[in-house]
Amino acid sequence: MSAAGQKNRLASGGLIDRNKPLSFSFDGKAMSGFAGDTLASALIANGVQLVGRSFKYHRPRGILTAGSEEPNALVELRDGARREPNTRATTIELYDGLTATSQNRWPSLDFDILSINQLASPIFVAGFYYKTFMWPSALWEKLYEPLIRRAAGLGRAAEKSDPDHYEKAWAHCDVLIAGGGPTGLAAALAAGRAGARVILCEEDAVLGGRLLSDGGTIDGLPAIEWVAKAVAELEAMPDVRVMTRTTVTGVFDHGTHAALERVNDHLPVPPEHQPRQRLWRIAAKRSIVAAGALERPIVFGGNDTPNVMLSSAVRTYINRYAATPAKRLALFTNNDDGWKTVEAALAAGVQIAGVVDARAEASAEQRALAAQHGFAILNGVVDHVEGGKAGVGKIVAALAGGAKATLEADGLAVSGGWNPAVGLTSQHRGRPKWRDDIAAFVPDGAPAGMVAAGSANGEFSLAACLMEGHSSGAAAAGDLGFGKSAGSAPVSDEDAAYSVRPVWTVNSKKKAFVDFQNDVTESDIALAAREGFQSVEHLKRYTTLGMATDQGKNSNVQGIAVMAELTGRSIPETGTTIYRPPYVPVAMGALAGHHRDENFHATRLTPSHHWAAERGAVFVDTGLWKRAQWYPLKGEKDWLESVTREVKAVRSGVGFCDVSTLGKTDVHGPDAGAFLDRVYINTFSSLAVGKARYGIMLREDGIVYDDGTTSRLAEDHYFLTTTTAKAGLVMQHLEFCRQVLFPELDVQLTSVSDQWAQFSIAGPNTRALLTDIVDPSEDLSNEGFPFMGARAVKLRGGVEARLFRISFSGEMAFEISVPARFGDALVRNLMAAGEKYGVTPYGTEALGVMRIEKGHVAGPELNGTTTAADLGLGKMMSTKKDFIGRVLAGREALVADDRQVVVGVKPVSPSQRLRSGAHVIAKGKVPAPETDDGYVTSVCFSPMMDRWIGLALVSRGRERHGEIAMAHDPVRGEDYEVEICNPVFYDPEGGRQRG
Amino acid sequence: MRIACPFCGPRENGEFTYLGDAKPKRPALEAGEEAYYEYVYLRDNVAGEMDEFWYHGAGCRSWIKVRRNTVTHEISSVEPAAGAGAAKVAS
Amino acid sequence: MVELSWTETTPLSRIYRAGSHGAKTQAAGLSLAELSGFELVQTMARRGQWSATDQACREAYGKPAPARPQAVKAEGALLIWSGPDQFLVLSPRAGGSAGMDRARLAFAGMASLSEQSDARSLIRVSGSRARDMLAKVCSLDLHSAVFPEWSAAATSIDHTAVNLWRGEDDAGGAVFHLLIFATFAESLWHTLLDSGAEYGIAIDAPAAWQQ
Repeated sequence: MSAAGQKNRLASGGLIDRNKPLSFSFDGKAMSGFAGDTLASALIANGVQLVGRSFKYHRPRGILTAGSEEPNALVELRDGARREPNTRATTIELYDGLTATSQNRWPSLDFDILSINQLASPIFVAGFYYKTFMWPSALWEKLYEPLIRRAAGLGRAAEKSDPDHYEKAWAHCDVLIAGGGPTGLAAALAAGRAGARVILCEEDAVLGGRLLSDGGTIDGLPAIEWVAKAVAELEAMPDVRVMTRTTVTGVFDHGTHAALERVNDHLPVPPEHQPRQRLWRIAAKRSIVAAGALERPIVFGGNDTPNVMLSSAVRTYINRYAATPAKRLALFTNNDDGWKTVEAALAAGVQIAGVVDARAEASAEQRALAAQHGFAILNGVVDHVEGGKAGVGKIVAALAGGAKATLEADGLAVSGGWNPAVGLTSQHRGRPKWRDDIAAFVPDGAPAGMVAAGSANGEFSLAACLMEGHSSGAAAAGDLGFGKSAGSAPVSDEDAAYSVRPVWTVNSKKKAFVDFQNDVTESDIALAAREGFQSVEHLKRYTTLGMATDQGKNSNVQGIAVMAELTGRSIPETGTTIYRPPYVPVAMGALAGHHRDENFHATRLTPSHHWAAERGAVFVDTGLWKRAQWYPLKGEKDWLESVTREVKAVRSGVGFCDVSTLGKTDVHGPDAGAFLDRVYINTFSSLAVGKARYGIMLREDGIVYDDGTTSRLAEDHYFLTTTTAKAGLVMQHLEFCRQVLFPELDVQLTSVSDQWAQFSIAGPNTRALLTDIVDPSEDLSNEGFPFMGARAVKLRGGVEARLFRISFSGEMAFEISVPARFGDALVRNLMAAGEKYGVTPYGTEALGVMRIEKGHVAGPELNGTTTAADLGLGKMMSTKKDFIGRVLAGREALVADDRQVVVGVKPVSPSQRLRSGAHVIAKGKVPAPETDDGYVTSVCFSPMMDRWIGLALVSRGRERHGEIAMAHDPVRGEDYEVEICNPVFYDPEGGRQRG
Repeated sequence: MRIACPFCGPRENGEFTYLGDAKPKRPALEAGEEAYYEYVYLRDNVAGEMDEFWYHGAGCRSWIKVRRNTVTHEISSVEPAAGAGAAKVAS
Repeated sequence: MVELSWTETTPLSRIYRAGSHGAKTQAAGLSLAELSGFELVQTMARRGQWSATDQACREAYGKPAPARPQAVKAEGALLIWSGPDQFLVLSPRAGGSAGMDRARLAFAGMASLSEQSDARSLIRVSGSRARDMLAKVCSLDLHSAVFPEWSAAATSIDHTAVNLWRGEDDAGGAVFHLLIFATFAESLWHTLLDSGAEYGIAIDAPAAWQQ
């Protein structure tokens, strides 16, 4: 492929690779470009001016900038699941086969029906959300919002899940440098030579910054050659890391920075195993912001017309990409930098239609240039541009004397001066300070460890940038004690002073835009001023100025200046809004990184997981755990049938359940018993070795925190268990008690949760089954191993295990634990040995059913509002010792006799299904907050009762056993009668578990 | 944020869990309800330097006392809780 | 009576597949291996007993107990710092509980001991891109100047506690060891594989840990 169709491609020059032609499509039209192009430069080369429609008014828009601050040229990149809306054509590296589509237009970019919004612009003015769509409020959801969303919006998100991978990574360095232009390169060289570990991040695919567009001479070399030499020197240093396609987007506390690396956005599809983007967290001892400066537009009529472009961008397209946006270009400037574009254009053979310079005096060189090339220098401002979707037509200037002049051109380069990139340095609520001499905000300090250098610090000459880059790099390294020589600073003779005559707005009568991306006009700001929204923070929110994805990079200073003018204040008096990360938009995918789908969080598997999976268990997520919920058998029609079978099998025979998820902690030390006495409401120091006890912990406010069984395995060794849900939190709490509250106690804590595979074996045949598992020398009889016994046992084959005679199901039960490497084997042994007893594995559902049948409380009852007494466990509270929560548990409200306490509930109609969450209301009362007596916390279908039963928290519940009340369930629209009853439905005497 | 754990060195804040003001001291049992009420519920809302308890749970599991400026996040000192490690603490 | 069989598993044995994984690079940038056959004892000095514990350690293991984040090569065991006044004793499993017995004998009355031999999976990470892979899962600075050979750390991967140390370098550069919680092992293993896939991973045959 050749340059066919690239009618605006210059015959020579540029940093593109003409030997690598690339094809791409825009709005379905095939086009071509070269390696080294951005989508924007390729579109310009192909003569495309109209790239998108604006957010609110659907105005035709082109390309304004050549960088990541682009507000107008936003496109949908790629197709299908990889479609990414609102990407900036100016930062998309061209690749072969790239597809891009314009957005926010219908039916086509050229003919957009909703551009009639422009005619309706009076209703879209500042604050229109607040004013226009207020009444009637019912219409908001149905009419206004959908209408606005269709009419005003940006691109379409992909409708399929993103197939690409994103990841996050950490990096560490002494000196982080944001920006790889002349300042950043000089800083990196200095810091690297001094011996510091350096990370240099550059947003662009190549290093050099403005040198790539503006050239120049450094150390006697053409700038591009100097860049190559500098990069080679940096790459040879082992502790310098150069990261291209990487934008430092945020600075956080203590030297933590965020940087987004676009690893593979320049390819159609990332290579296998590689991420599309990587979000870096960089811990840096020092950082240098060498992010340069951004040129700013000027507010005049039609300043959003396609092919009205920032002057520096025009120069970039011509010099770096060999693509000219115009054949006959005009310039509107208020500073000398704009004139460089005239020189670049002339060198590329582009005609100059004229220069409108706001400054009264042109230099002799400028006058000579104008004379030589036959164009006029007009002292004044551009009042407006006439044109439209076809681009710039006529440029009407208002001259200093009051006369009007017209220029015929097909492009207008605009330079309103330069704004140092103060985003990063201001992110910790720092406000930049105003410098009159350059008419711009510059950093006023920065977060600790950070400095700005070069253009980002208001130094605009190449010589000064190199010098300041070098000195800041050397200083950062020196500060950190790196003593090697930083070498000499790179030298350039380009040291011309920057002079600018501020022009913010020309007060044109035509529609003039301040914020292109959010379609905020000068008159919107005037309206905000009239209506009293004069503070910059109000201005921003009322007009949405600076709230688009460019975060006001192209608009804030003009907006502030216009407001200052309208309110008779100075610009520094008017002030800036707060700067926040990220500096450029960051995809949600990058923020999520690896943590999506099955990697959303780390997953914990029980020791019997693989065995359970082989059996076809249904798993449930319990915190981070996957637990077997039930084990369906062939032919079972639903979960209820499986769970009912499991419960019946346990209660009539024997079953087992993996309870390894319980938190398990070794509590060691001479004071272990005394320690447990303080964290539990009941006493553990008196527990005999070889025994287990159920314990309850309170929070210091008297509310129940957690419960579990703790066994004494030796005089100075307890084995404490917690609920699955609270395992980590209880460990943290116990460490707090050990280290902060009771440091005088000699006690040590170690989590052993993962050491032991633990199973509950329950049912009348438990002892028979276990007898086949344990060594014949072990006595499991009631005498040899009484209820609540706990001790180490040997299993047949010599495996060391622990047995605990505790029961959650109410059946004769043991918990057995073995070192986790034998967990899988133990399950298989239980199945094999238990075959003759019909042993049945059961899941968390059956576990839950059996604990409800027994009235045991669990998570739904330990809900952060209940006391031990509420749970029917008040008698456990010792009155003989201090323990956490003791004093406040005695507060009036926590011991009031109308508290909601645990009761059983069952529907009066045996076929009625009970639902948790239903409110309990006394019969005859109208459901209302005042008549609400409590609610149903846990429900199940009880196979033993053959009906639905539940637990509830009911006011004065213990006095109300036998009362018929109403279950009121407004969520499901049900009301039915329930009987309040004893929470222990099954075997209330408790004989079975002691059997 | 980065916090210099006295045992592990500087670590990112994701390894730590925040508890809050380190000033309130757990009263004796006999101190009564009022004292406990104050201990559990009443907190100064400090704008400036404050001693806080943090837990290095994703590291060495030590409780530490961090002196942090709540306005600037500047950390001026970090020390272990009295009972971190095997320190002998008199009752 | 049914014959019982006590086949041991390791935290990764059910999913472990030795061989290459990820990008087909000329030479794998990363090697991973699960090491088993070890005993691991958590040792925590009792109050006021750190110097006694340290002295006992010198006598029983021939080296001082690690008082800062380090791994110490001692006689027949590696002593890995795990927090203030506490460390892990890693030793080859020689049948029975020889490692625990030895620690009990050494530290009786001075330190509390917890059996952790089954609570962790031990993973060796080596190869020229080991550090690059670890940078995706670990927030620590593992640069040689900061984390030389025999450095250790208690940190976390994917919000899960991990003991990490750097052993003796091999031909491919730094060699790291991770002790990760057994019940998280499969999940973290997949995360390590995903993070290293772009460098090409050689998953070594499972092996016994050796000092």
